[in-house]
Amino acid sequence: MLVLLHILKFKFISFIKTTFDFRFVTIVRGLGSLLVFGGFSIVAYFLSYEITKFVLEQSRTGLFLYHRFISMLLFVFFMSVNMGNIIVSYSTLYKSSEVNYLFTKPVSFTGIFVLKFLDNFLYSSTTLFLVAFMVLLGYGTYFGYPWYTFLGVLVFVLVPFMFLSACLAVLVLMSLMKIASRWGFRRVMMGLAGMYFALVFFFFKFSNPIKLVTQVNKYYPNVDNYFSQFDPGFVKYLPNNWVADFLFFMARGEVKFALPYAAILILVTLAMFVICMLVAYRFYYRSWLVTFEFQAQSNSLQAGRRMKMFDFRKESILPPQMESLLKKEYFQFFREPSQWIHLGLMTVLVGVFVLSVRNLNLGLRVTNVQTLTYLVLYAFGGFLTCSLALRFVFPFISLEGKALWSQISAPLDLKKAYFTKFIIGLSLILALAVIVAISSNVPFVRLSQRRPLLLWFGIFSAFWTSLTLVTLNLGFGGYFANYQEKNPIRVASSQGATLTFLFSLVYLIVLVSIIILPLLQYFNSLFIFSQFDPRVLVIPGTIFGVVSAALTAFAGVVGLRSLQRDF
Amino acid sequence: MIQTFALKKQYDTKEAVKELSLTVREGEIFGFLGPNGAGKSTTVKMLTGMIFPTNGTATVAGFDILKDPVEVKRRIGYVPESGALFETLTGWEYLQLIADLHHLERAMASKRIEEFLTLFGLWEEKGMRLQQYSKGMKQKILISAALIHNPPVLFLDEPLNGLDANAALVFKELLKKFSQQNKTIFFTSHILDVVEKICTRIAIINEGAIIAEGTSADIAHSTGQKSLEEAFSKLTGVRDARESAQDFLEALGS
Repeated sequence: MLVLLHILKFKFISFIKTTFDFRFVTIVRGLGSLLVFGGFSIVAYFLSYEITKFVLEQSRTGLFLYHRFISMLLFVFFMSVNMGNIIVSYSTLYKSSEVNYLFTKPVSFTGIFVLKFLDNFLYSSTTLFLVAFMVLLGYGTYFGYPWYTFLGVLVFVLVPFMFLSACLAVLVLMSLMKIASRWGFRRVMMGLAGMYFALVFFFFKFSNPIKLVTQVNKYYPNVDNYFSQFDPGFVKYLPNNWVADFLFFMARGEVKFALPYAAILILVTLAMFVICMLVAYRFYYRSWLVTFEFQAQSNSLQAGRRMKMFDFRKESILPPQMESLLKKEYFQFFREPSQWIHLGLMTVLVGVFVLSVRNLNLGLRVTNVQTLTYLVLYAFGGFLTCSLALRFVFPFISLEGKALWSQISAPLDLKKAYFTKFIIGLSLILALAVIVAISSNVPFVRLSQRRPLLLWFGIFSAFWTSLTLVTLNLGFGGYFANYQEKNPIRVASSQGATLTFLFSLVYLIVLVSIIILPLLQYFNSLFIFSQFDPRVLVIPGTIFGVVSAALTAFAGVVGLRSLQRDF
Repeated sequence: MIQTFALKKQYDTKEAVKELSLTVREGEIFGFLGPNGAGKSTTVKMLTGMIFPTNGTATVAGFDILKDPVEVKRRIGYVPESGALFETLTGWEYLQLIADLHHLERAMASKRIEEFLTLFGLWEEKGMRLQQYSKGMKQKILISAALIHNPPVLFLDEPLNGLDANAALVFKELLKKFSQQNKTIFFTSHILDVVEKICTRIAIINEGAIIAEGTSADIAHSTGQKSLEEAFSKLTGVRDARESAQDFLEALGS
């Protein structure tokens, strides 16, 4: 225990020294982060407050249904934290050089496990934690929580909820390592992805939100009552439901009914942590050794021969320099499990979205409703593009690592090396963004009796946003490059990455804001059968073009310059 | 072959290299020595066109590093101190990548890769990813990558790092042969006896400035010492080695 505290003390000192670095550049960067984080937090706070107000006062959904929706959101949040922790903890617990070093020191395996577990939890959950807290703040302000209640909910509900998810993630990971040593890493990861999607699917299938809304609305206007009899049995055992029920009773001022839910959550979290420690005590070191087997398997001669199509000796019509750089990027991507697994997950997510949205029934011919629906789908598509660009394009330059010298010292125009990365990033992001844009516009083409204007707008917009976001993430990824970090997920969740993501979201908000008016006019003209005047597109189109072009040019220059920096 | 003109590099307030002026002639094996943080690697990075100097310039193989960095890079081979490679690639793939970056014809590249891997005893491991290679094996790949396009100028930053005794011996002999073929070698190392044996001329850099230049005998003589090692120690202000060792032992005993 003392050894553990000793290491934690030095990790804390190191964190403080790197965080509070009073050089001019760091201060400016810190202020920039503060500004963007602050802005984002304020937006999250107001959105949460306004949505709560709207749902409870305007649409009169009722406390019970509102908290069941919160429960569903919390389920998705729990799964996101969980999956994020599984992926990041594989690198933190098994592939970190710090772990390799600590295993040579007289520190217990459980001690190392606790150290890296906390490291992983704090690292992968900080941004989500910030978002969750700001949402809680907005929600609590609506219900007039006093300040100590916020603190209580934060410490005794929110933190245990996320911690439970992280514990579960690590348990799943250690079990996976055990199974993977028999069945192979690739197969087990595929199985895990399938299992998680099945879990999400069945949760929503059996929760059946539409049925729940119908059942509760039979009791209108007494919709603030507690209708737990309509919940399917399994829901009572899920932590997201405990949090939602805790909030429900707090909102009704019935603290004595709320507290048992917090107590259950804390007890289960503690129990899960103890189980984690016990499993780690028996299995962490052995599962760490399993990673060497994986490495040996992936490094075997067969692994080298596997991807023959992209063999370096094969020639194509491309110039050899460009061809080799493309092949290098290809191998670097597909030989790193965290890359292809994450891409697979994201692609499945896009697939689920496309399938769900394809048959969307836009029955109501009401301008406001359709504008809102379109905006939500448009924003989701944009958000997906932002996330994909951040996850896959932002780490591009950092992942070159110290080996960047190989390209910088070669007779290669650096613009070419940069362009290769840009083309790869753009092809990937653009393909997915266009698929999302087409599928989310198809229902509106049906609604407009096959007028394709919105579809063309969607594709045009997907192209420009992809171009801008890829350039932004590549450029900022170069500016904030960390050549020491080999884990792409950690690069994509660094401070620079978060800043880039929030910046991308601001860009997205600008886009969504400028299309509101033209969309209103479009749907209005559609429903009253008048002619749509395309001139309303001129001003938003110009703003869109200017903002995108300016960002693209700026990020391009920043990125190219970053390659000329000493590393 | 290599000439620097008041070459300077400044990072924030720190002057890493201070108006460095030196000349390396064709066919020379030029030893560039200095303690840690003296500015050796920064100088090499500037001369290889990897970073731009804050002031001054240099020419390598007749080309200016500021005006024609790509032409400079065509004519140099470089072994970096970091030893970093693209570790997800196999040994063969990495060398092919470097050959392509240097516009080497595919057939010629394949022939040379095969020869280098065989000479360094890495043929059996050619399909293994570099992350599985030992430090010495990686160093052999780095040396092969620096030589694959047969450049007239070589920048070698600690090239013997991790090499086993046999490979190091072969490599030192190879450098001498290159010198006889009029190739120019800019050699940076901490192993002073190697530098003393193979370098035709030496410069010592400390805190970004050249403090001694000449043959090892010249430098030893000018400082009144018997060997290059002692001269280096005296010039770079390091305490007497025997005294330091004794102090360490006492610290362990306390």
